[in-house]
Amino acid sequence: MAAVEELSEPGELTAEEREAVQHQLFRLADDEFVVAERYTEWQVKAPTLESDLAFSNIAQDELGHARLWYDLLQDWGAEESELIWERDPSEWRHSTLVELPFDEGDWADPVLRSYLYDVAEDIQLRALQDSSYPRIRDRVGKILGEEDYHREHAANWLERLCEEDESRERVQAALDRLFPYALTLFAPTDEEVEDRIDDLGIRTEPLVTMREEWLDEVVPYLESLGLSIDDAELPEQYDVHHNQFDLPDAVGRDQSHTDDWYDLQEDFTHSYRELGRTSAERIMKDPDDE
Amino acid sequence: MSNAYDTDIPDSVDPVDDDCVEPAGEACAYTEYVEGEAYDDVPATGEGAEGIERDVWDTLYEIEDPEMPISIVDLGLIYGVSVDDTDDGTVATVDMTLTYSGCPARDMLQDQMQEAVEAVEGVDRADLRLVWSPEWNLELVTEQGEQDLREFGLSI
Repeated sequence: MAAVEELSEPGELTAEEREAVQHQLFRLADDEFVVAERYTEWQVKAPTLESDLAFSNIAQDELGHARLWYDLLQDWGAEESELIWERDPSEWRHSTLVELPFDEGDWADPVLRSYLYDVAEDIQLRALQDSSYPRIRDRVGKILGEEDYHREHAANWLERLCEEDESRERVQAALDRLFPYALTLFAPTDEEVEDRIDDLGIRTEPLVTMREEWLDEVVPYLESLGLSIDDAELPEQYDVHHNQFDLPDAVGRDQSHTDDWYDLQEDFTHSYRELGRTSAERIMKDPDDE
Repeated sequence: MSNAYDTDIPDSVDPVDDDCVEPAGEACAYTEYVEGEAYDDVPATGEGAEGIERDVWDTLYEIEDPEMPISIVDLGLIYGVSVDDTDDGTVATVDMTLTYSGCPARDMLQDQMQEAVEAVEGVDRADLRLVWSPEWNLELVTEQGEQDLREFGLSI
């Protein structure tokens, strides 16, 4: 990629630059917030005390990362409450992988889901390490440093679950269900804006390249555990990396969502609405304001 | 420090070391203790500071981490302090980081800092700026901080 110019401070961006940065930030922030929201459903329900603590802590990490990204969206004046509690659910841009509900007791699902998600997150964060937008670039290292053990935790559990037939079948069922949704992690919010994100150097790898990298990592690994990707409703064009994949009806990134998302959003904003809140409780103003 | 993992789990864990196939009697080397890298510019400790800036540093030294008896300066959270006369009066700007991005004590700690710094005589306003780069790691703990953590019972 040709050398790109460093982008200006938030207040000095052109409207087009600003839109591109915001799309990139909503991709990151919404994924992290919603995946954490789903993970917390396992609190006091995960199969062992250790997995309960580990998974709760991973959820806390992801909430922290969501906040680092929402912080940057506040550069243009929005409050945290407006970005999270008051934003219309039809405006969120997370991948539909993270909004799907879990079946009760189906531990294979969160384990596999977190593996698929965390490998993708790692690839996406690495493509931001040399971002032309300094405020994104400066936060990537901190987040990457807190991510390694997420993948380790997921892989560790996946390997154990795939050792025996019965539990491996559960992982396979989760894989068949989740794989098409996992592909939406690399779907564009809007083709034209995503091209601009690449052209401006906000991200140094296009979505298709990252998806290819992700497939090259997850497919052989899952197959090595005795799982089959062929049954996973993998699009026919699997071998032709650059073709469009058949994505589920609800992609998320383009603001199309499943009904489950609307239920989830209703749930997590319930207290905020019931208490008649108009702002999120903050003890002090954001020190990052300049 | 606000995360159980901060003290025990390093920034990166070598996946090769995960398999516990060592001979019996040897501890499982699940976790590799990586200390992290030292930086030239941070943390700042206030060495040589004078006047109001000195007073701001002394105030920051008195503030402890919400979970451990260690000053936030010795923990390496402060990256810089400057005191400037502006149209709004005298502003103390503090660049700081946190050990953990998901730190639940973020608001609590910063509220305490804001109040304490603004109470320093001669300071009209405190401006706390949270930065995430370079990333905090164990190398940023000062010698005094290491001693405090050892006394608290942490191996460092």
